[in-house]
Amino acid sequence: MRQLARSFTAFLKTGIGVMLQYRGEIVLWSVWGLVNPLVLYAVFKAGAQSNPDQQIAGLSIGEVAAYFFTIMIIGHLSAAWDTHEMGWYVRTGRMSPLLLRPIMPIWKSLADNLSYKVCTLVFVGPMWIFFALLIRPTFDTAAWQVALGLVATLLAIVLSYTFNYAVALIAFWATKLDAVGEIYFGLVMFLGGRFAPLPAMPGKIRWIAEALPFQYMAYFPTWIFMGKVHTRSEVFLGLAAQLAWIAVSILVLRLMWAAAVKRYTAVSG
Amino acid sequence: MPQIEIENLSKTFKVPEREAGLAAALRSVFRRKYKEVAAVDRVNFAVEQAEIVGFLGPNGAGKTTTLKMLSGLLHPTAGVARVMGHTPWKREAAYLRRISMLMGQRSQMQWDLPAIDSFFVHAAVYGIPKDDYKTTLDELVELLDIGGILKKQVRTLSLGERMKCEICVSLLHRPAVLFLDEPTIGVDITMQARIRKFIGEYNRKHGATIILTSHYMADVTALCKRIIVIDHGHILFDGQLGELSGRLAPFKVIKIDLDRELDGYDFASIGEVLLKEARKVEVRVPRDRAPAVAEKLLSDLPVQDLTIEDPPIENVIAMAFGGKAGAPPSAAEPAAEAARA
Repeated sequence: MRQLARSFTAFLKTGIGVMLQYRGEIVLWSVWGLVNPLVLYAVFKAGAQSNPDQQIAGLSIGEVAAYFFTIMIIGHLSAAWDTHEMGWYVRTGRMSPLLLRPIMPIWKSLADNLSYKVCTLVFVGPMWIFFALLIRPTFDTAAWQVALGLVATLLAIVLSYTFNYAVALIAFWATKLDAVGEIYFGLVMFLGGRFAPLPAMPGKIRWIAEALPFQYMAYFPTWIFMGKVHTRSEVFLGLAAQLAWIAVSILVLRLMWAAAVKRYTAVSG
Repeated sequence: MPQIEIENLSKTFKVPEREAGLAAALRSVFRRKYKEVAAVDRVNFAVEQAEIVGFLGPNGAGKTTTLKMLSGLLHPTAGVARVMGHTPWKREAAYLRRISMLMGQRSQMQWDLPAIDSFFVHAAVYGIPKDDYKTTLDELVELLDIGGILKKQVRTLSLGERMKCEICVSLLHRPAVLFLDEPTIGVDITMQARIRKFIGEYNRKHGATIILTSHYMADVTALCKRIIVIDHGHILFDGQLGELSGRLAPFKVIKIDLDRELDGYDFASIGEVLLKEARKVEVRVPRDRAPAVAEKLLSDLPVQDLTIEDPPIENVIAMAFGGKAGAPPSAAEPAAEAARA
């Protein structure tokens, strides 16, 4: 465990080092993270304003602002992109040097993921403040909801990462994973409530979204922070669902990994 | 007990195949054809501790595939391998900590960072104690003469500089077994010589077992007493470097410098004449007849100098791969071509 901690710290340090080589890219990614929720907020606000009760899907304009503001932050923290990179690593043989190490490549990938978030926080932090001042979100949240919302956010980060990595391992079978990565991204955005809160979805789509794990990657903690998960038992049920999906992700990831290294062909070097 | 043992090791790849052109590309959308390629086919060998073995063969012979299986990167289709008691493809951390595979065409450095950062990560991943790391790094930096480039971004290094850094990072954890796949590829002659010398010193100092593939015969002749020649996944030769010519080219070349010009001597009656100038003659003769022929030439002719030589090792190997893979040692044709070359 100490060995793993030492390796992970080293990966984290060098990951931050790599990020700092590309300062401009950090700024651009940060801006990109702001554009999407800002546009969606504008759309939903217009929808609410066109209704006589100034609401949409049961949310006031202030709550719509709170929703997109919160999901923007949690979405940033739980972002994972191995589905976009794994295919390249496998196809070009760049996976080989990582496989020669006495540590699973996922730890380096996770450290790189966290490095990105640490580095971008410097830029997205002020942008979030600017966003909040611009849209004035309304929260109706109790202290216990904030506390459990933080736990749900942590679990959302773990779930998003492990699930994404498990899907990314398809690259060992499919080799070129770009399309899978895009589909996965679309599912996370749509069924994960990033385009619209689940109550705003049509009945059957909402039912599908509630049955899948994507809502637990950002929507569920956002809903807690908004004070919309009213009872502790509802929150604990959601946390249990998050833990169950994490367990499933890790199990699938481990099984896939064991099979993936057996079929790795180490092409191009 | 050998440090590396492999028995009937085989690896078959299933590769897609199609004719050239758009029509074939369209057909392949609906009906994809695959071909089974036996990259390594029932290979057997053993390597003792501290041995340096040259693993030779043309492109696609199966050298790198074998090394990848031994380093745990690839699972074999069949066969058994044990390296220091481990089955490589189980990829146990305890095994991976004791080996290193250097792939000349594949970097293990952090491309965007100074080389020293990659060394730091390597030390952490391999659990090298800080004092040992410092001592080893200082030693490697001095031997490889890379002190001046440690702080340079890896992607700005020249190929030779990068290769030296790759060697450094591969050896930081002092591996007991080294798989070197083209360690001198692309670097200039001076640098090749330095890398060779360094590998030899590492082997002597630490008793490391090394399997080396290289297309540069100078690497092999400088470092390896024993070589294994592989082609189309089959081992053609496994033995001492000095025996290679005898096994694959059962001929010798007799080179004669004469005191004066001669007319009328029938050199063709003693062997195949490879060169005939005014005072210089080269004749290829069967290996077992070479001493007798030399004796006859010395008695018949005004010889100033006479040497009996094996054909150049490069030529022997080149001829062995020239479509004659698997030919028995007595196969005269490739050997004759080797002697002539």
